[in-house]
Amino acid sequence: MSHDPGTSTGSRGSTNRSVSTTSRRRFLVSGAAAGATALAGCAGGGGSDTLTVGHVLPTSGTYALLGESIMNGFDLYLQQNDGQLGGYEVETVQRDTAGETDTGVTITNEFLVQEGVDALVGPVSSAVAIAMMQTVQQESSAIWLNANAGDYRVTQDGCMDLHFRTSFNDWQTSAPLAQWVYENVADNVVLSYADYAFGQNSKNFFQEAFEEAGGEVVGEVAAPLGTDDYSPFLGDIESSGADAAFSFFAGSDAVNYISQLSDFGLDDELTQTGSGFLLSEDTLPAQGEAALGKYSLLHYTATKETDRNQTFVSNYSEEHDRQPNVYACQGYDSAQALDIAASNADSTDASDLASALSGAELDSPRGEFSFDPDTNEPLQSMDVREVVQGDDGVENEVVATIDDIELPDWGCSL
Amino acid sequence: MSLLDAFDPRETGSSTDGILSNRGRFGILALIAALAVLGPVASAVRPFWLYLLIQILVFALLALSLDFVFGYAGLLSFGHAAMFGTGGYAAALLITHVTANALVVLPAAVLTGVVVAAFIGWFSVRARGIYFAMLTLAFAQIFYVIAFADLPSTLLGVETVTGGDNGIVGLATLETFGLLDLSNRMNYYFLTLGLVALSLLAIVRLANSPFGRVLQGVRENEDRMAFIGYDVRRYKVIGFAISGGFAGLAGGLYVPFQSLAQPQLLNWTLSGELVVMLLLGGLGTLWGPMLGAGVVVLLEEQLSGFAAWEVILGSVFVVVVIFAPRGIAGALVSLWEDPEDAIGNVRDALANYREKVMK
Amino acid sequence: MFVEFSSVLRATMLGVQLGMTLALVAAGLTLIFGMLDVINFAHGSLYMMGAYLGVTVSAQFGSFWLALLIAPLAVGVIGAVIEVFGLRALYGRNPLYHILLTFGLAVMIQGLVVEIWGGQSLRIEAPASLAGTVQLGPVEYPVYWLFVLAISTLLIAAVWLMIDRSDLGILMRASAHDTEMVDALGIDVSKVFTGVFVFGAVLAGVAGVLLGASRSVNPGMGFGVIIETFVIVVIGGLGSFKGAVYAALAVGLVTAYGALIAPSVTDIFLFAMMAVVLMIRPNGLFGATEAA
Repeated sequence: MSHDPGTSTGSRGSTNRSVSTTSRRRFLVSGAAAGATALAGCAGGGGSDTLTVGHVLPTSGTYALLGESIMNGFDLYLQQNDGQLGGYEVETVQRDTAGETDTGVTITNEFLVQEGVDALVGPVSSAVAIAMMQTVQQESSAIWLNANAGDYRVTQDGCMDLHFRTSFNDWQTSAPLAQWVYENVADNVVLSYADYAFGQNSKNFFQEAFEEAGGEVVGEVAAPLGTDDYSPFLGDIESSGADAAFSFFAGSDAVNYISQLSDFGLDDELTQTGSGFLLSEDTLPAQGEAALGKYSLLHYTATKETDRNQTFVSNYSEEHDRQPNVYACQGYDSAQALDIAASNADSTDASDLASALSGAELDSPRGEFSFDPDTNEPLQSMDVREVVQGDDGVENEVVATIDDIELPDWGCSL
Repeated sequence: MSLLDAFDPRETGSSTDGILSNRGRFGILALIAALAVLGPVASAVRPFWLYLLIQILVFALLALSLDFVFGYAGLLSFGHAAMFGTGGYAAALLITHVTANALVVLPAAVLTGVVVAAFIGWFSVRARGIYFAMLTLAFAQIFYVIAFADLPSTLLGVETVTGGDNGIVGLATLETFGLLDLSNRMNYYFLTLGLVALSLLAIVRLANSPFGRVLQGVRENEDRMAFIGYDVRRYKVIGFAISGGFAGLAGGLYVPFQSLAQPQLLNWTLSGELVVMLLLGGLGTLWGPMLGAGVVVLLEEQLSGFAAWEVILGSVFVVVVIFAPRGIAGALVSLWEDPEDAIGNVRDALANYREKVMK
Repeated sequence: MFVEFSSVLRATMLGVQLGMTLALVAAGLTLIFGMLDVINFAHGSLYMMGAYLGVTVSAQFGSFWLALLIAPLAVGVIGAVIEVFGLRALYGRNPLYHILLTFGLAVMIQGLVVEIWGGQSLRIEAPASLAGTVQLGPVEYPVYWLFVLAISTLLIAAVWLMIDRSDLGILMRASAHDTEMVDALGIDVSKVFTGVFVFGAVLAGVAGVLLGASRSVNPGMGFGVIIETFVIVVIGGLGSFKGAVYAALAVGLVTAYGALIAPSVTDIFLFAMMAVVLMIRPNGLFGATEAA
């Protein structure tokens, strides 16, 4: 191990920030090779006038698109505010977690110990979030804007004042749909889900709420995460005789499940519903017409016709040549939350930022929402969407909005 | 040509008269001393470097344990993640349910590694070469599925054992009857460095012992050794189990350090990455793979802020394997022996490449 | 657990279809191994490139059939580049070093795919002429899936015949079995190597296009398929095409039935099957006994 760190790490000083090669992040500066002082073009950076943000996000692997979208959303807000949040110049650092838990922990350590970030944004995967909890708590040196990882256990087991969900939790994307399905679709369902923590949570939450509403669960089908061919599972779904299905699948699993359900003609026999990731902007192009007529629940829908959202969509599309997805909105709101926290606190200290953000309200493209002062979970409305034929391909259309949802607190009282 | 024939000592870099020359041993001692100094210095300059150094040391230990069987004894294990991961899970379970005492946890991790390796080895040694490799990979993947699906909880009827895909999180720090405060990262670094140094010493001695000679003989010509009267399979299983103990130790050090045990520790991608560390570093030299581990950990960490970093990492592997036939260790040795000829070597390598490609 | 007949039938059809498509991927891997002892971690990437190029060609020209023709040929070209500029430089050295080379290539290709096509899942549009389902006894089965089943079976049969009967096939088998001998006969072995590598790449590319219209196309699919195909190649016996076909069928069926019975532990069945086979036959079903 005579390896000299200087040879390969020379370019990586505290000044080497935001290593990104894409021009869409031009307002942030990346002194990758040059190692130049951060924030070229922004005078007065450095010292306590700077707010350092660490993106704990994947840019490779299964979740690459999600991580990138979150960063794009974050950057859009930053750009609209001249690179400042709450009056502070913003520096961002980014490392690829590749969606792996181990790497996520390492990066969190690096950001907190070495880079001394004031805020963490991320992660995408709940397993990473759960593994990060201890480090974030121990260091207690940064506010944590959880821009996607929705596992309720971060609140149940962590219950940390530094943790704010700028995204959603897995209860929100499943349970509230139960009543709506019972009233509008069917009184019996089959549950199909990806067999890992997030899928199991979503299934359990929906089942509980659906039975409470008076419905009956007539079957349950668990497919391993990353299943390529769903045909053996479709048989069980069909033979359950259910009139509707509620599912949790995401990413390529969602693409495979939905397209194969349609390939096998099963969607003529039952109405497919699910948590929003089943039919989201990142899966719909690949699902195509197979997705038509299916319902899902999510807190953000790009086609939502509010002025706030339309402005966001056009700004985002201008910058990135594509529609924003839910992840971009979560990234955008993470920046917005940090803006509010920093300007209210007038400090970059983690606990000051957290108490300034507790209970705050955000004017998000998804609609207004606020942080529950007890849990720091977002108190938000959820959209029921149906997939319809749009001008370029299929798209989600909001058919109902569920307001005033009472969120469980999982024993957390901050 | 078979894979076993291919284990020419010149190719693998190990010489027939001892795994390390005296000069080599002196070099290693000097390196350990240098690392003992480097830790505090690195920590003073950048605290995170200490974190990286610990990570590098753990993977160096893991690479060392693999090289002992893979490079030295010719047992192509593609499943070393099994011992690393189970050692780590054993540590996590002990810390969660029994005790965080390092004097219990670390030996238990070693023991777990030995037992798991003996089990896998016993079933696998009948097969040779790639068949052996795939058997070890298969067993490791079975452990991965068991941890991911949390089969023990189903069998025992309890809520959770391995924690499924989230793993076991929030582990307490190891403690040592209050002798050494291991929540202090510097102390953890010295503990790790000490154990890695001892492991290296033990494996070098083992490699040069009569037992090690037999293992090497098995690599060179298994049938001949059997003919002479050695119980070849037994030697292989024992060698594999010993290696597994060191891999288990690496897992036992890594999991409390990361405060996390999760299924990815058992996945074949980790085993594959390990093999890459060995080949990159210099197969069969023991110190080369440790260096390879350091390079891979550093590269992955340093590159991961760049866009398309996988392309860069992959290219590094490709370039090294084409132009540095004996890995980083080989390149360093030839540079050391004849520094003036470095440019000549590069020219030769390029000419050689052109000739082969044009053939 | 009670399993309905229709489910068994459906799983059987999937199992055979999986087996045949996996055999297309595994064929190249086993032939290359037989000849060169090369453990090709990048072989899954060739399958993935088939799917991605299929996406691009079919979107560009609006024709699945054109994609099925062009994409595999393009993958063949990629295969030729890999063989000539990569593998060839390592011939004569310890074949283990091919692991480092091909692993590096696989990592590179995965990174490139994300750069070019992005991280989201894509899909090839299946031809309209093969849309819809047909009733097969108690099972409603998609026409396209039947088409994949049929065409991959036909292709495997054709390759089988070619390897078994044609002069080229005999040369390939001979090279796989005893490279030095073929070399001594004055045949340019390096051309045979390149040819076989390209051939294997094209077959993997075909599988990529075929499955790219029934499954999602994503950057993880290259590494995803590689372990499955290694298992197949090892069960069948390194270097044996015939063995790979039988093994692929077995793996396909175990995967499909496993999904019916105990989905979360299907992989355990798969690996246990391999372990049992190797314990009884340490060189796989049809492996040469002296193969290491």
